[in-house]
Amino acid sequence: MDSKKPSSNNEPVLRDHVFDGIQEYDQKLPNWWLFTLYIAIVYFVIYWLCYYQLGIGSSDTVVMDKVIAEMQVARDKQMESITDEQLWALSRDPAAVEAGKATFMTPGMCVTCHGTDLSATLGGAKLPGLPLNDQEWKHGGKPTEIFKIVRKGSPDVTKGMAAWELVLGMKRVSEVVAFVLSHHKEGEPITQAVDTPPPAAPPAAK
Amino acid sequence: MTSTAASKVPIEFNDKIVRQFMLASIIFGAVAMLAGVFIASQLNFHQLNLAEWMTFGRLRPLHTNAAIFAFVGNMMFAGIYYSTQRLCKCRMGNDTLSNIHFWGWQLIIVAAVITLPLGLSRGKEYAELIWPINVAVAVIWVVFAVNFFLTLHKRNEPSLYVALWFYIATIVTVAMLYIVNHLSIPTSWTHSYGIFGGVQDGLVQWWYGHNAVAFFLTTPILGIMYYFLPKAAERPVYSYRLSIVHFWSLVFLYIWAGPHHLLNTALPKWLQMLGMFFSLMLWAPSWGGMLNGLLTLRGAWDKLRTDPVIKFFIAAVTFYGMCTFEGPLLSIRAVNSLSHYSDWTIGHVHSGALGWNGFMAAGMFYWLAPRLWNTKLYSVPMANFHFWIGTLGILLYVVAMWISGIMQGLMLNQVTADGLAVKNTFLDTLQAIRPLMGLRVIGGGMFLLGWLVMCVNLWKTIRSGTPVNEVREVAVLQHGKTDTMGMKETFFNDPTACTFGALLLIFGWIFLPPGADIASLICACFFAFLAVRRFQKTSHTWANWYDRLLQNYLPFTVLTFVAVVIGGLIQIIPTITVNSAKNVEDRIQKVYEPLELAGRDIYVSEGCYNCHSQMIRTLVPDVMRYGDYSRLGESIYDHPFQWGSKRTGPDLAREGGQRPNSWHYEHLMDPRSMSPQSNMPPYAHLNTKAFDQKTLPTKIAVLRRLGVPYPPMDATEIKMKALEQGVKIATELKISNIVVRPDSQMVAVIAYLQKLGQYEQPEVEESLTRKGQGVPFPLSPVIPDNARRADGAQ
Repeated sequence: MDSKKPSSNNEPVLRDHVFDGIQEYDQKLPNWWLFTLYIAIVYFVIYWLCYYQLGIGSSDTVVMDKVIAEMQVARDKQMESITDEQLWALSRDPAAVEAGKATFMTPGMCVTCHGTDLSATLGGAKLPGLPLNDQEWKHGGKPTEIFKIVRKGSPDVTKGMAAWELVLGMKRVSEVVAFVLSHHKEGEPITQAVDTPPPAAPPAAK
Repeated sequence: MTSTAASKVPIEFNDKIVRQFMLASIIFGAVAMLAGVFIASQLNFHQLNLAEWMTFGRLRPLHTNAAIFAFVGNMMFAGIYYSTQRLCKCRMGNDTLSNIHFWGWQLIIVAAVITLPLGLSRGKEYAELIWPINVAVAVIWVVFAVNFFLTLHKRNEPSLYVALWFYIATIVTVAMLYIVNHLSIPTSWTHSYGIFGGVQDGLVQWWYGHNAVAFFLTTPILGIMYYFLPKAAERPVYSYRLSIVHFWSLVFLYIWAGPHHLLNTALPKWLQMLGMFFSLMLWAPSWGGMLNGLLTLRGAWDKLRTDPVIKFFIAAVTFYGMCTFEGPLLSIRAVNSLSHYSDWTIGHVHSGALGWNGFMAAGMFYWLAPRLWNTKLYSVPMANFHFWIGTLGILLYVVAMWISGIMQGLMLNQVTADGLAVKNTFLDTLQAIRPLMGLRVIGGGMFLLGWLVMCVNLWKTIRSGTPVNEVREVAVLQHGKTDTMGMKETFFNDPTACTFGALLLIFGWIFLPPGADIASLICACFFAFLAVRRFQKTSHTWANWYDRLLQNYLPFTVLTFVAVVIGGLIQIIPTITVNSAKNVEDRIQKVYEPLELAGRDIYVSEGCYNCHSQMIRTLVPDVMRYGDYSRLGESIYDHPFQWGSKRTGPDLAREGGQRPNSWHYEHLMDPRSMSPQSNMPPYAHLNTKAFDQKTLPTKIAVLRRLGVPYPPMDATEIKMKALEQGVKIATELKISNIVVRPDSQMVAVIAYLQKLGQYEQPEVEESLTRKGQGVPFPLSPVIPDNARRADGAQ
């Protein structure tokens, strides 16, 4: 060992060897530093032991599957409670219609394809969506049918409208439907659209 | 021990090569930072995506590669060439090799600057360069390695100083990482498919990517710190013992931490856990380096006021400490679920790249310039200005990114009152962070301004002096006792035996079947206890052995290599054998049709992965926003994987079938027509160019060789299939009054985007689910996740 003995206990050991003028002390490692290393190692061992050997805690996928299933049940439950009458009633509630309008008109949402006046045109040019202010409906004009299209999208989303349920959630979907219905009257005639090739429709950034 | 000096000879150091590397680093540093400021501005001003070759997706790889390989690379070589010659008391191994290294490296950089904006890319972060350049990088790195080890071989200094340990670790590890991560089969002179796909590719990529940070941006710079900091401070290094402990723990632990880039993804959990825990354990070794730097300055704090070099070094080491505290923090799975894919990570790497690398570089250059040109620094006030504007710039940048990352993360996690829908669209969150992306440009711009002031200062300094090569009288070393250590002495001794024994038992704990694992852990604890007892009794023999190891560069290199190779082997080999397509029991990806493959290659070459991930994590907010969480098998045929590391736009893992083709067309032509206020570059050029039909058959043939189950098809069939699908999409688009060529890149990209997220559910056979049972342990280790699953089923 080429190290000098310290002259007193407090003085650090200076190693003899000099590298291009650089010398090195040989001091004790700071205790708090050593402890951070030891604690990290012990934490690793205990955590791994608990998870893998003792089987404590659930795996991520098990937790996720459970959460997703619960959410689906809650969504289905919400769905069951919706009727045509309720949606018509909602369309006469100014607060709900106003909220629906706000969502509808948010850039990148419904307005992108259906237009500000619901005519699916912008300054005379045709937008990708279908008009919502006439009495012709492609996927059914009953409130619950409209509601379903907004939630789930058109039967083939690559050719029609995207599903909005996950983005908007139940409340905002029903408000948007209320806003659309506010342009209509209960009992007005509903015509099935001639099966023209399906035009494109919205969604926006997720 | 002291080798007798027979004679003294004058030695002229090769300082010319140091000057060359230093100037290259200064210039490329400015280029890399300029590119950074530019692409950061594109985030707020999409109009700056001025041309096809100037889009964010193509320039961001240029920025990262320039910063890492051109700026820090050249800086590292300058520092290594300067200090190694002095620490070895001899000229660099071979002047020709030095020159080949320098010019070869610059040529590689020029090639990168040309190819990346052209969209020639392998699509893996910091590994984008195409295969001919990869070969060149590997060759030049070997040239550097040979040159370096030749220098060690003919050294006139018996013992290796700590800086050299770090250089050795850098050279062997970077070679290993670079070669493994770039293994690929060419399909043309400019394109290749990596041999790993899906989860394997992800693991190998981040084993490489994380350790590019570790062994390219950290270890060489620590070596440089160990040389230049005590030189500038004129103080002894704080602790030799700390050097030993922190060096070996750092190089051993670092390599394991890669999976922390893939937390909460489809990566098997045991790897995620290893990534997280090894990152936490890394905290102490990293801070060991910081402590040895900071505490070396004890007694020299007065210099902080007068010497700009010390200022830069202190700030750099402090940023290193901050960054290596933040790293383990971000590796905690819970923290990571918020921070990952956000600007927080971006801030983290920049506090390292600007604070640690950038300031170490500046300090070193201010110290070197007067010595290499035999003059005085032109202006200390200018250097001080550089220091302050740079520091403020980094702080502004990092704080902006903290706020941005945390805010966007929280906004993305917000749900509606009933808890069944997300509250904010992705675009909402993007609008919220726009001001912070602006601050980031200002912070980066301040750092760049400081750098330019340094350029002027150093230019004036250089002009005032003349280049000199230092000549020194050196005692020639008689290689009597140095470099004589054999295999036996290297491996069969207390320190290595105790280390390997303990490690073996720990691995037994991780991989042995239930029952034996706990036994192995108990043995490991007992063994560690005995080893510590033994060390306390015989510590002087341990120290003597280490002193002797330091006089033997090859055994030292071998042991370093062993230390870094273990982590990679243990993480990657089981993944390659177990997580292959034939073993996947859950969903498995549908193979891309020819047109979709062509589209995917365009997606990769445009650098879409720089902003879009394809990985829905096992987290509630991710699932609510993007759909069911991604399974390991759903990207198993992806060469390269495109899981991504940053979401400037939304995840695309399940993009397929969610929107009409016409939406994608309009969105690619002008993103803002469909997503107002989006910052995505327009991709109108896809509409005017035809996709590459010619190489499709070769590409499919290569993928078949790599195990993607394409049915046998001849070249005409492949092209026909591609065109048929193209015609189908073009016809559909026509209905919406959109006219596209059926052989356009646009059609190919749309086909690819519509394919994303499609999978099959293979039928599980009983024989398959019980595979690997009964094979003795070393051939078929028990993957911890599987062992645990078996437990749960009982």
